[in-house]
Amino acid sequence: MRSLSISLLSLTLTSIVIANAYYQKKQFYPSVVYITKSNPSMAVIYIQAFICVWISGKIMRKIFFGQLRTTEFEHLMERSWYAITETCLAFTVFRDDFNPKFVALFTLLLFLKSFHWLAEDRVDYMERSPVISWLFHVRVLSLLPPARLALTCTSSSSPEHAILLTVVINIAIKYALHSVDLNSEMPWDNKAVFLLYTELIMGLIKVIFYVAFVAIMVRIYTLPLFAFRPMYYTIRNFKKALSDVILSRRAIHNMNTLYPDATPEELIAADNKLPCNHIFHTSCLRSWFQRQQTCPTCRLNILRTPANNNNARPAQQGPRLPPQNVFMNQFLIGPNPIQFFNRQNLGNMGPQQQQPPQPAQPDQPNQQQPAASGAAPGAAAAQPQAAVPRFPSCISRSYRSWLRRRCPPQNLATLSPEELQRMEGNERENVEARIQCLRNIQVLLDAAVVMMQQYNATVTASTQSPHSSSQPNVAPINIPQPSTLLNPSNHNATATVTPDQHDPAQTAATAPSTSTRASSSTDGGTSTEFTKPSTSKELETEARESPMTPEEEVRRRRLQRFQQPAEAQQ
Amino acid sequence: MAGSALRRLMAEYKQLTLNPPEGIIAGPINEENFFEWEALITGPEGTCFEGGVFPAKLIFPPDYPLSPPKMQFTCEMFHPNIYSDGRVCISILHAPGDDPMGYESSAERWSPVQSVEKILLSVVSMLAEPNDESGANVDAAKMWRENREEFNNIAEKIVRRTLGIPT
Repeated sequence: MRSLSISLLSLTLTSIVIANAYYQKKQFYPSVVYITKSNPSMAVIYIQAFICVWISGKIMRKIFFGQLRTTEFEHLMERSWYAITETCLAFTVFRDDFNPKFVALFTLLLFLKSFHWLAEDRVDYMERSPVISWLFHVRVLSLLPPARLALTCTSSSSPEHAILLTVVINIAIKYALHSVDLNSEMPWDNKAVFLLYTELIMGLIKVIFYVAFVAIMVRIYTLPLFAFRPMYYTIRNFKKALSDVILSRRAIHNMNTLYPDATPEELIAADNKLPCNHIFHTSCLRSWFQRQQTCPTCRLNILRTPANNNNARPAQQGPRLPPQNVFMNQFLIGPNPIQFFNRQNLGNMGPQQQQPPQPAQPDQPNQQQPAASGAAPGAAAAQPQAAVPRFPSCISRSYRSWLRRRCPPQNLATLSPEELQRMEGNERENVEARIQCLRNIQVLLDAAVVMMQQYNATVTASTQSPHSSSQPNVAPINIPQPSTLLNPSNHNATATVTPDQHDPAQTAATAPSTSTRASSSTDGGTSTEFTKPSTSKELETEARESPMTPEEEVRRRRLQRFQQPAEAQQ
Repeated sequence: MAGSALRRLMAEYKQLTLNPPEGIIAGPINEENFFEWEALITGPEGTCFEGGVFPAKLIFPPDYPLSPPKMQFTCEMFHPNIYSDGRVCISILHAPGDDPMGYESSAERWSPVQSVEKILLSVVSMLAEPNDESGANVDAAKMWRENREEFNNIAEKIVRRTLGIPT
């Protein structure tokens, strides 16, 4: 309302001035001369021109930006006050060639600047609003080329032009990044990195321009006071961006190299663990490290903390499992001894859990269940933990597909001789596959036995020295010598299974050992298809028959202790 | 996909609507702009602010979970840790690095694992137990320390005013 009245007032004043001139001189040319000679009428004309510029600016703003939001308006006002002050300072420098044309140029520059600021705010707004209409995109896209065009037209005051050009490029890059992010369904993690580097490079270019500009100005005119404030801010921003980049690079480097990624059973994916064992998304951590190089939860300084990831792994307690358990938990095959072993590997076993295997036994399956489902969220967790044994997924999968492929048709009479012949061939393959499967199972059973023996050794060690029980991972682990290799193909089979299934930490567990013992240890752990003649009694007899070292004697006794409750359950 | 700040704010809004903490209501003023919230805080029971309903405004920065929001009461407040213009001076709202009062340890500062809910709960506990050492409002701090009766009277007046009851 006020602006409307002001513009109306100025319009009437202008028309009065023009009418007066025309009334006095009667002709066009003399009246123009009259107006330009008279200072008051010139002042009125200038005010009118200013108001015209203002109105055109408003119209442009309406077209390109629509309604301004309050924050945008505040930004605009704040920045334009600075700009106007600086323009006035600039006039003092350029006072020699001060003329209306110069004023017009600076006014135009001010307009362009304000539009740049608005565009910058608008593009930043993209990231904040849940609803971005097509009108928004049309406006921003239509804004960018005219801005560049206008800039090239008014390239007279070159440093300002160059700096505005960098602003335009910056806005364009940001817009591109935001719109890519907006159109993708998945959150784009690397956007922050791109934005940071864009900021850095643009900051560098701006700093160079400002320094060059000041140098030139000092040489040609005098000290350009009006350029100092923006130069100072540009340099400060650049310095901040630079230190952000450097520090975050260091922290991210630490994060990537020194701190282990959280293993799959710790969290689903794409996570990273700090030395204080707090877990975050890598992308979240990256953007936080650009600010602060501390842990968001406990504020541990990442840069000052020596990475002790090798210690961190075993030292961690509670629900996070050491990586070995990826392997171990696949061996949760029904009955108990192996579970015991597994339990021992959980890493935080108190003495009370470790001492008496027998009384704790009935609880074991229940206690083990959460760990198992946490570790192998796939088929293993879905299956009920009944008498049906669980195979390591790779074998069960291959076995299932093999069953699907090889199952003979119901009625053999319907088949032609060729088909029958082919089936014979298939049958041979069938047998081979079966043998292969059996070998695989044998390897797994061997591994189970090794684990059991390992458990024995640990229990022995812990009973001998109670202190070691608090550090189960440091406890001595005796891998028994491969004693009686009954099946020579055993070794071969180990090699075929290990690579895809076991990581180096577990190779020890797959060391070949006695196959008969393996089968006996998982009595009931094999389905009818792969039946092995094995009972727990056999183990004892077998163990007694073989010549024994004192260590083996101890192990045998431990094994016996297992077997009693296991049989009791069956 | 929208910006991470927006996603986070939407998630927090949803969380606050589904499981609102007792005595706290918060949400964006306008659903087109998730970066300006309004919150209503009821005065904690058993304190001089009991029964009052205090409106406040929360302004979130564009890089929200990385930088803390700003909080300002939009009603009149008289409290040692609230500036006379309503801005709240509480350590959880200060990013590590800037420390207006020079006493806060970085352990209680802003961090991305904090949330709007935690801020508002901290403000409630701040209303219950003012920290007269940080003194955003020196008069209030002095009165809190030396003349508790007077402080309680003023607080009661403010409570009445927020409820629209003539004092």
